[in-house]
Amino acid sequence: MSKKTKNIIKLTILNLFFILICFVTLVPILYAVSVSLNANNSLLSSDFSFIPKNITFANYKAVFVEKPIMLWFKNSMIMAVITLVISLGTGIPAAYVFSRKKFKGRKTILKTIILLYAFPSLLSMTALYKLLVPMGLINTKIGLIIVYTGTEAIFALWNMKGYFDTIPYEIEEAAMIDGASPIQIVTQIVLPLAKPTIAVTAMMVLIYVWNEYIFAVNFMTGSDTYTLAAGLYSLQATEMSGSWPVFAAASIVVSIPILLVFFALQKNMTTGLTSGGVKG
Amino acid sequence: MKDRKYNTLKCYLWSLPSLVLILLIVIFPIIYTGYISLTNMNVYHWTNYSFIGLENYKDAILVFDSGFIKAFVMTVIWTVTSMILQLVIAYVLASLLNVRGLKARNIYKTFLIFPWAMPGYVSILLWKTGMFNSQFGLLNQWMNKLGLTAAKWLNSDWSAFWCCTIVNLWLALPFMITIIDGALQSIDHSFYESAILDGANWFERTVYITIPMIKPIIGPSVVITIFTTFKQFDVIYLLTQQVGAKTGANIHTIMTYAYENAFITNNYGYSSAISILIFVILILFTVVINRRQKERSV
Repeated sequence: MSKKTKNIIKLTILNLFFILICFVTLVPILYAVSVSLNANNSLLSSDFSFIPKNITFANYKAVFVEKPIMLWFKNSMIMAVITLVISLGTGIPAAYVFSRKKFKGRKTILKTIILLYAFPSLLSMTALYKLLVPMGLINTKIGLIIVYTGTEAIFALWNMKGYFDTIPYEIEEAAMIDGASPIQIVTQIVLPLAKPTIAVTAMMVLIYVWNEYIFAVNFMTGSDTYTLAAGLYSLQATEMSGSWPVFAAASIVVSIPILLVFFALQKNMTTGLTSGGVKG
Repeated sequence: MKDRKYNTLKCYLWSLPSLVLILLIVIFPIIYTGYISLTNMNVYHWTNYSFIGLENYKDAILVFDSGFIKAFVMTVIWTVTSMILQLVIAYVLASLLNVRGLKARNIYKTFLIFPWAMPGYVSILLWKTGMFNSQFGLLNQWMNKLGLTAAKWLNSDWSAFWCCTIVNLWLALPFMITIIDGALQSIDHSFYESAILDGANWFERTVYITIPMIKPIIGPSVVITIFTTFKQFDVIYLLTQQVGAKTGANIHTIMTYAYENAFITNNYGYSSAISILIFVILILFTVVINRRQKERSV
């Protein structure tokens, strides 16, 4: 056997292997897609196939008509945007100062922030609940926004600070010599250079609020105040009850925006995230 | 001198909104958690709680049956298992993706990172109902086809642990593959060429070139992943312990253990003590990691 045929056989096996692995990876998602589109609801029959014989959109219609998914979507969007504006609005100037200036207390604060970054907000849920009750903020959007803003303020500050560190200071010095004011330097030089990290940070904040369910389920009591994540959580089919095809359809509806954002930002993802990641 | 003070003041003015937010919403609740951990606050003593000193901590650490020690051991086993499997599988897949002549590698990569792009909790719930459900889950449908009896995947500790591990791998592998793939591509090919000339076999090349070369590049990401695995809550909670839908498996990591004591058995004082203990563990871990990183960079 020549070296060339040997190589071809090797590559064929490798390709088959990867096709199999990709299929195995996608099975849970393909199954959900197929169930959500399947007209004859033969869930318990054994002749299930990934390509449904009769396609229907009834389950998707049910998601939009029978379930208050648009209301949940609205709730999620309102909270996500407010959280985003507050955490980036406060985070950008802070990240800039911590990256660029040397001042008393800087190191201590940064060290504290690393530790806080490791702290899952879930652990202070009781305390947050206990603090929000007397203020009448349980079961309100403001209450949840407060919780989300805290977590994301730390993330935004830390992640963007890491990226600012990678922008050479010489650029700013040159602008300073040309007589630019600090505000001008930040708005006209640093911010345009920091676009990738701002975009990624903003998306991560949006995705966080979009996906957060545990605070939303515990702090919101009525289904009309739910976010998308809490709503989907309440829709899930259990062993005994609930409609699995409708839940599958809802899952896909909820996932699509995140998938689009992810693949649109995929290139920025690694630079925008890992450069901020752990560097002290 | 005056100028410097003015500068410091200005820096604090710029960062003040962010720092105040963090102080009020993050630090204060943590301190308050510490305060609650010293009381007997629970569902019967929601407002009229009293101080009991370090009693909750004693219960957690010294009483072996309390469950905290067990949950901690479980968390360590969980983290170690997940990390080993993740690194090995991701390394193998990333290396195979980098075999020369594999033209469709970008297509495979896109499919392989798909789980990363899905919202995590949605994926976990899809796994729970779509795959593991004892009636219409895909696994049991396949079991039926093969003539095997249907299993209750999530009902016993042992199988639930592996189900959780598999789902966690499914969620975490895309990130790890991306990182290792990037690291592998950054290695200069001339290293391999001269090693091959020297007669080094595949194993030697892996041990002496590839692994030492990618170690510093993937290091930070591995550390992040260890943290997220250690703190993992969603997978175990959503698969086995949801309120009203417990599957019967009794596997707890420290995170789900803290949550259960807070919001299911409503033992707020005790749960807060657990929270503080977890925070201390995470701080120690962070300090150790940072010190090691500093040593390496010196």
